Amino acid sequence: MTTENNSAGDETTVARKKLGFGFWLCVTWLALMAFIALFTPLLPLKSPTSNFIDSAQGRPPYAPSWKHWFGTDKDARDVFARTLYGARISLTVGFSAITAGFLIGGTVGVLSGYFRGWIDRVSSFVFVVLLSFPSLVLAILLTSLIERSLLTVSLVLGLLSIAPVGRLARAATLQYADREFVLAARQIGAKDRRIIVKEILPNVAIPMSSLALLGMAVAVVAEGGLAFLGLSVEKGITWGGLIQLGSDASKTLEKAPWISFFPIMMLFLTVLSLNFAGDRLRTYFDVKEMTL
Amino acid sequence: MRYYVQRVALAVLLLLAVSMLTFGALNVLGDPLFNILGPVAGDVNNPDSIKMIEVAKREFSLDRPLPVRYAIWLSDFVRGDFGVTFSSTGQPPVSGVISERLPRTVTLVALAQMFAIFVSIPWALITASRAGRVADRISTLNAFFLVAMPNFALAVILKYFFSIRLGWMPLTFVADDPWRSRLFQMILPALTIGLPVAAVYQRLLRTDIITTLQQDFILLARTKGLSRTRILLVHALRPSLFSFITVVGLNTGALIGGSIVSETVFRIPGIGSTLVESVLRNDFPVVLAIVMIVASSFVVINLLVDFAYTLIDPRVRR
Repeated sequence: MTTENNSAGDETTVARKKLGFGFWLCVTWLALMAFIALFTPLLPLKSPTSNFIDSAQGRPPYAPSWKHWFGTDKDARDVFARTLYGARISLTVGFSAITAGFLIGGTVGVLSGYFRGWIDRVSSFVFVVLLSFPSLVLAILLTSLIERSLLTVSLVLGLLSIAPVGRLARAATLQYADREFVLAARQIGAKDRRIIVKEILPNVAIPMSSLALLGMAVAVVAEGGLAFLGLSVEKGITWGGLIQLGSDASKTLEKAPWISFFPIMMLFLTVLSLNFAGDRLRTYFDVKEMTL
Repeated sequence: MRYYVQRVALAVLLLLAVSMLTFGALNVLGDPLFNILGPVAGDVNNPDSIKMIEVAKREFSLDRPLPVRYAIWLSDFVRGDFGVTFSSTGQPPVSGVISERLPRTVTLVALAQMFAIFVSIPWALITASRAGRVADRISTLNAFFLVAMPNFALAVILKYFFSIRLGWMPLTFVADDPWRSRLFQMILPALTIGLPVAAVYQRLLRTDIITTLQQDFILLARTKGLSRTRILLVHALRPSLFSFITVVGLNTGALIGGSIVSETVFRIPGIGSTLVESVLRNDFPVVLAIVMIVASSFVVINLLVDFAYTLIDPRVRR
């Protein structure tokens, strides 16, 4: 557990907080997932849609074996390939959603924290309205009304993250809006735009960015939930959809638990990594009183 | 007094905004006529279809402008008439569907909440009193695992191990069973919702108890020679429950979200699973009614939490 610590300790004599071994383990897993999500078609995988019927083994589903590492589902499709393909949509949606949420919510939050007045009142009310739906209910409502593509599902989940992100950005901005360095900048005649970009944003961005990983975990789980209910991206393989497929009838779950359990494992490890790494970063940057 | 009036007014305003948003989204983004009649709605050349369209439009007031329809719906809704379901017969009425299924969801959410509270308080007390030691570290790791397990995945895992492998728990919910066995059938669904929430509560309460334990009055209690258990239960717990109460209130939304998934996996005909079914069937009066009930209960619970807060700490009122 101490391999990381020695190299960093030489330069600073003051004991600094460390990110720790667990953090880097999580980052490695996330990097691996990102790599898989980006390059799935180039990897030497079995086709996720072919049916590998094996007459010697009888009727599918087949249990995990050398040929099919994670087994096959009841249409004899390779669960390993499908699980890796599932990373694509799940991670893309999670990443785009939280990016959209940070861009929109962050901008609105910083502006309303800086200018106060009517912008603040209107945006605060909109945030409260958005937050008075339990998020899964709002997600179900919206995804049911639209054509469910990668873009629209990401946008819906992005919309859900606007309110929490915006509130945090507003709170963080409020902390700095009346500080001396902002007043000083205003005294020497800096315009609002310059103050926001040069003085406020760097201070707000650091604590906010450490929350991005936690936010992405929430978005990945939300996408999984939607997919599980049959309301995520229509054409395509997602972890939530794979888990649903293996558990829709108790007979399937009883006879072939691997269909659900391998995607569950991948989803769990990914969410765990995002949470853990995000939590370590939050402590590292000493962000208090902020939870998504 | 003024504080309470303001808060209630804000809550009412909020619910109006929520209902307008939902009503508007369902009417503008969705196509109610198509949802009622199916493909017939698009068949405008056939005289029979035109007649059916006319009848349906009048019956569901679709020939009126949107604001008028909203006003009609709202005045019906506040009087407890949630309209008719979108089907050729319009039976059963939405109010009937809701009154049959809402009690199950309320029971489920209440069970889950009770479970989360009764697990998290002792768990937090034990870990806080041993903060930093092995037991505490293991528990922190466990809490992390629980929080990272999405509830639909947890549902599948619990169902596999406790219902299928071990056979301790029933597989599905049977609406006609006597209430005692129905309650028993709800244990696993409630665990699905409550376990991750218990972990969230425990993490929060543990931190707060640790902070309380460092205060002077605890030191005084210890110098008086009181036992550890007594200090924890009598002196440390109550002042630490402050943010716990808020989070318990705020988490009701997460619990309702969880009940949607849990009801779907364990086949409980509550309003959560009905929401999913109606959404997939485009039965929009049912969707609207459920969304409004969920949002209202969410807003009201948060209002009550705020009021409870003012009773504990009167400074908030100003």
